[in-house]
Amino acid sequence: MRIVQTLVPRWLQFWPLLILAGSSSLSGCRFGAADPAARGQEVFQTCVPCHNADGSGNPAVGAPNIAGMKSWYVEKQLEKFREGVRGMQFNDVEGLRMGPMAQSLESDDDVKAVARYVESLPPVRHAASLTGDAQAGQALFATCGACHGENGAGNPDLKAPRLAGVDDWYLATELRKFRSGVRGASPKDMEGRLMRPMARTLPNEDAIRNVVAYVETLKP
Amino acid sequence: MWERYITAASTYAHSIDHLFLLIAALVGFWLLVAEGMLFWLVFKFRARDGRPTQYITGEEPHLKRWISIPHFIIILCDVVIIVWAITVWYHIKQVMPPAEASVRVIGQQWAWSFQQPGPDGVFDTTDDIRTVGELHVVVDTTYQFELMSRDVVHSFAVPAFRLKQDALPGRVINGWFRPSRVGTYDIQCTQMCGIGHALMAGRIVVETPQQHAAWLLRNTSPASAAAATQDSALAAPGGDSSTIAEVRR
Repeated sequence: MRIVQTLVPRWLQFWPLLILAGSSSLSGCRFGAADPAARGQEVFQTCVPCHNADGSGNPAVGAPNIAGMKSWYVEKQLEKFREGVRGMQFNDVEGLRMGPMAQSLESDDDVKAVARYVESLPPVRHAASLTGDAQAGQALFATCGACHGENGAGNPDLKAPRLAGVDDWYLATELRKFRSGVRGASPKDMEGRLMRPMARTLPNEDAIRNVVAYVETLKP
Repeated sequence: MWERYITAASTYAHSIDHLFLLIAALVGFWLLVAEGMLFWLVFKFRARDGRPTQYITGEEPHLKRWISIPHFIIILCDVVIIVWAITVWYHIKQVMPPAEASVRVIGQQWAWSFQQPGPDGVFDTTDDIRTVGELHVVVDTTYQFELMSRDVVHSFAVPAFRLKQDALPGRVINGWFRPSRVGTYDIQCTQMCGIGHALMAGRIVVETPQQHAAWLLRNTSPASAAAATQDSALAAPGGDSSTIAEVRR
């Protein structure tokens, strides 16, 4: 011990304390998982407070059911939220909530990883929460079917997401937003701008409920 | 003095700074006196060989005055601080100077939105200017604001203005500010409001009247107006078609 005191400068003799302080500081750091699947699950923890751990969503905060949603669509929407193309409209309460969350994703790799993780979640079906005339809605759905497919399965080539299996309250909310310009107003939102006039073909709230009631009958 | 560290960009920023300085000076002075006295007494009456400990009850007047005199002076300092603080608070929070412009500040998880009444001076009309995350104001203009929340408790804080006011759901809170320096300043929510609280930021852009007019023109230029008209044509009645400017962060 006397040799240490002789050879080591006095200020360095506190090295046990330095190691302790350093390790304590590092214990607070978090290092991301290297494996994309594990990373996706890790990043998804940011989504859990609103979308739930199983991705089933929470209507109370306007968070849709995203369990099993196709990764290309999740990725595309996350990019839009990150760039402010979606979710930056004055009256888009849910979008304004989602925007900062998407912007908190650290990298494009994280976006891809979390999108794949969302797709890997087992789909969750919820019972219908709105009432509407599905038969009347079937005729209205002809317009939607042109892009989203007759069975509402979606079409990645047209960037049209799957509708079958999506919660009715969410579909109705988004249709209202497209109609009023709360969603799809940005010049950079190509798909949104295409969707707006389509939503405008629904003349009123009854039409929205009817078409959504028909979508509820489609098998995902 | 503080401006070296944080810009003062509103007319009442200096009043707040002076109050903080007064409190820091008075409290700091008494802290130094008390700590100095403590250590001096510890040193003076340290253990010494052959010197017995004195046992005192502290009841004699010449001992009691070491407590009572500083006590009364500190109370006097407290009164100075309280009077000064109430005066500052009264002039900022209780007196509302006549408004030269108005703005509605809306907090929600996790964004700040702003609504200005446009040329007609009336809210909720077609010429309203609505922005998200960014508020453009004119320097040397007194703004009255209506602060509200769409969901939970937030706090509208603009450090450069020395402005901080809670936003409560269900209530409209009125206040004012008068920007005194051109520049861009941070807005941050300072009330824990959920997982995205730290991301609930924005900025205030203080401009000259010419800069502000140019900004308005850019956002209501013929091209923008045409786009807005097209959007309005598409929008359903009662929708979000009244927006002139939708500025993004």
